[in-house]
Amino acid sequence: MDKLDIPQGTLDLMILTILVREPMHGYGISQRLATLSHDSFQVNPGSLFPSLYRLEQDGQLKAEWRPSENNRNAKFYKLTASGRRQLEQHRRRWDRIAFAIASVLEGA
Amino acid sequence: MKLVRRLASIVDWIFHRQRAEQALADELQAFVEISAAEKMRDGLPLEEARRLARLELGGVEQVREQVRTYRHGGWLDEIGRDVRYAFRMFVRNPGFTFVVVVTLTLGIGANTAIFSLIDALMLRWLPVRNPQELVQVAFQPPSPKDAPGTGFSYAIVRAFASQREIFAGVAGFSSFTFDVGSREAVRRAPGALVTGGYYETLGLQPAAGRLLGREDDEPGAPLVAVISDGYWEREYARSPDAIGQTVQLNDIPASIVGVSPRGFTGANVGSVADITIAVAALPQVDASAAPLLGPGNFWLRVLARPQSGVSVSQASARLNAVWPDISGAVIAPHWPASRRQAMADSVFQLLSGGTGWSYLRNIYRKPLLVLMVVVGLVLLIACANVASLLLARASARQKEMAVRLALGAGRGRIVRQLLIESTLLSLVGAACGIGLAGVAGRFLVSLISSGPIGPTPLVFDLTPNWHVLAFTSGVAIVTGIVFGLVPALQTTAAGPSATLKEDARTSSSRSKLLPSLVVAQVALSLILLSGAGLFVRTLQNLQSLDPGFNPEGVLLVDSEGRRTPLPRDVLENVQRLPGVLSASLSTHTPLSGSVWSEPAVPAGQPIPEKDNAYFVGADPGFFATMRIRLVAGREFTDRDSANSAPVAVVNEVFTARHFANQSPVGQHLSANVRGRRTDLEIVGVVKNTNAAGLRLSPPPTVYVAYAQLRGDFPTTLAVRATGPLGQAASAIQRALQSAMPGALIDVRLLSRQVEATMVQERMMATLASGFGLLALTLTCVGLYGLLAYSVAQRTREIGIRMALGAQGTRVVAMVLGSGARLVIIGIALGLPAAWAASRSVGSMLFGLTPTDPVTVAGATVALAAAAQMAAYLPARRASRVDPLVALRHE
Repeated sequence: MDKLDIPQGTLDLMILTILVREPMHGYGISQRLATLSHDSFQVNPGSLFPSLYRLEQDGQLKAEWRPSENNRNAKFYKLTASGRRQLEQHRRRWDRIAFAIASVLEGA
Repeated sequence: MKLVRRLASIVDWIFHRQRAEQALADELQAFVEISAAEKMRDGLPLEEARRLARLELGGVEQVREQVRTYRHGGWLDEIGRDVRYAFRMFVRNPGFTFVVVVTLTLGIGANTAIFSLIDALMLRWLPVRNPQELVQVAFQPPSPKDAPGTGFSYAIVRAFASQREIFAGVAGFSSFTFDVGSREAVRRAPGALVTGGYYETLGLQPAAGRLLGREDDEPGAPLVAVISDGYWEREYARSPDAIGQTVQLNDIPASIVGVSPRGFTGANVGSVADITIAVAALPQVDASAAPLLGPGNFWLRVLARPQSGVSVSQASARLNAVWPDISGAVIAPHWPASRRQAMADSVFQLLSGGTGWSYLRNIYRKPLLVLMVVVGLVLLIACANVASLLLARASARQKEMAVRLALGAGRGRIVRQLLIESTLLSLVGAACGIGLAGVAGRFLVSLISSGPIGPTPLVFDLTPNWHVLAFTSGVAIVTGIVFGLVPALQTTAAGPSATLKEDARTSSSRSKLLPSLVVAQVALSLILLSGAGLFVRTLQNLQSLDPGFNPEGVLLVDSEGRRTPLPRDVLENVQRLPGVLSASLSTHTPLSGSVWSEPAVPAGQPIPEKDNAYFVGADPGFFATMRIRLVAGREFTDRDSANSAPVAVVNEVFTARHFANQSPVGQHLSANVRGRRTDLEIVGVVKNTNAAGLRLSPPPTVYVAYAQLRGDFPTTLAVRATGPLGQAASAIQRALQSAMPGALIDVRLLSRQVEATMVQERMMATLASGFGLLALTLTCVGLYGLLAYSVAQRTREIGIRMALGAQGTRVVAMVLGSGARLVIIGIALGLPAAWAASRSVGSMLFGLTPTDPVTVAGATVALAAAAQMAAYLPARRASRVDPLVALRHE
């Protein structure tokens, strides 16, 4: 199946959503994103890492170095309290957008 | 909160850059390894798994660059890198950097110097409470011909002050000079006379003691003085005991009641007031100045603060509404009815007053604005030079740019890099320019101070304030962008592939831009040079003008410390001194700045209301001392005394106006002399003198015998001496000092007094020619640079030409010709621009028209000659090209 471009402004929302379950490292996030989107989204590390850094700078993510499942030291990102709040806001906004778009499409 | 965290992380990145970069590298390495490990688990061999993992990441460097760029504060990071890179570049090219910085220092420094003078004279707020609320009161007489007045009588200022529903406060002030100290050690101190509301209106708090108030400005109030903070420091070492001490002002004891706040030196910009007393106390310190308080003398400048809630337009409307009611009481009752009516019909204007008042503004506004334009043009020429230097260097860097473009740098990124380089250069130039401006500004003030500067010395605060710093950095940034943008766009326009493939030397796009910069420089230089020529010739015309008297060899002696005429026997002592040819007393010397006028007409005609002639009280020997030639009749003699019939000598203008076709000698004049009707017998006629100003036509003048004058008159002793004037001056000083111990004897040159009236012209001539030469030099450097560059580029072509038999002279002619073409185009463009520009300074010129053909031709020839000399050096180098070397060079 062809890959889709990640819609503008939704990468942060997806990163936060993925991290709500458990802390993860960069590779893990990109893999989970691919799995959850049934391989429709393939995030480019050139976009993923800048996003992770920005979210960390804004205090929505916190990072710590610890061994990964295959014993390689990796940087794990974890949601902070402010990240959680941000996620809820993002989520509500996205739900409204999705509902609105669906309504328009059905109504037409 | 988010913002704070963001800032903290940006700062953290800057300071722990190394660690952060390392962490990012580690993180990306981990990404690749974990990804490879996963792929091996899926059964791929080690090498293949690693290769795929690296592909997946898309290049460690690229991702790192993305993170650096798109994280918050990334732009700051990049600018920091650009700045570091730029500095490395400057250090690697010290010659280039030096030339650019010196050029910009001269350009920006000249602009800053002129601007800081404009700022100090016209733009700076007074250091008082809410200066922006202050207004200056001015009045427009009913006839629009008359200039608006800013001087008011004491009575009118007091009437304004009583309008409490319009003004919260009204301050009247005037400069004044005090003779301070006892008879044995008199010193001059600049001071001010102020009305009672002065300090309250300005909202000032004393540094010590108290300031003057309304109660001090009443007739009969004790004589008290406020001193400036600077005077307190110099004379009293800031001792609190200074308050209550007595100081002798013109031999009258005054007690010091307080010190004005630091930084405040009076509302009269340019003159410092060290000692301030109330206007009402003036008759106590100087009885002869008492008439100033009368209703006919308009001498106080007025600043007022409108009542809160009253706008400036409301205040002026209300003031004009109440004026008819209050005018009757304050207009001089002795004035003729028509003049009283004119004053009553005057309309008041409230001008912005927060910058204080200065008589210098009227004199120097236009010259300074003209100079601001001049230095602006100089800066443009300097920018053109720097731009061509950058362009020439940009061609050397074309390959570097192409490589960077090819490696993925955006064009914007490279343009930004180049702009940062040029802005940094101009900021360095600006920093040096501020230093240069400090020196140049002091020079400017000393130029202005050599003029007639009124009663007190000229003091300007030229320390750079935020106005000046903002101006200079604004100029620097605009300059950096102007001269940096063109080369930046040019360098990056071609794109990577064209440049990389092509030999950088043959790129042709620059060939139009560089020459047009030189053409612009030539045109601008022509404007500046012809302007400089006009100002220089104006000064020459004034200096070579025959003023009707000969100022060379004449010493003027004043003894203001006594404010009484010199005794007769002292005069005789001076006349006997060796080297003294003649000496005489007079009330007014030519071009002293102070004049005396009265109405005078042939006997039998009604005396007019308005003064129509200059009056001068002169002793026998005055005309000989001044070398004013007698045309008919006789001079004054010792027989013209207080007991004989009053006599007068008139000049030719007066004769022509009142005695057409007949000899005035023996005729009689009716005149009002100091308000007293007097009959004068004309005994002689003398040549005209330019006593009112060198630029003005000689005024009709009536000389009266000094010995026959009654009342207090200012008195100056004029001495014509031979031999070294310095010796004569000190001999006179000694003779007078022993006769009048303790008096202030001031000996000066009449020629200096005449020169002082030309200070504005001298300033314009000096500065315009200095800037003209600077412009010419920069233009020649620009032309030289262009030709040297093109000769270097065409070495091979020139070598071929010479190998084919071209003579050296022919090559010289070719290079000179290409330079001359640019100069001719520049002159063709510059001539109409110079013509237009010089018309706007027409009023500042004397003895020539703004389009004076000799001046314009001279400027053109000078420019062309200098340009040819600049072109000759590269031309000669071209003619010495060795064909063999040039061809082998390939």
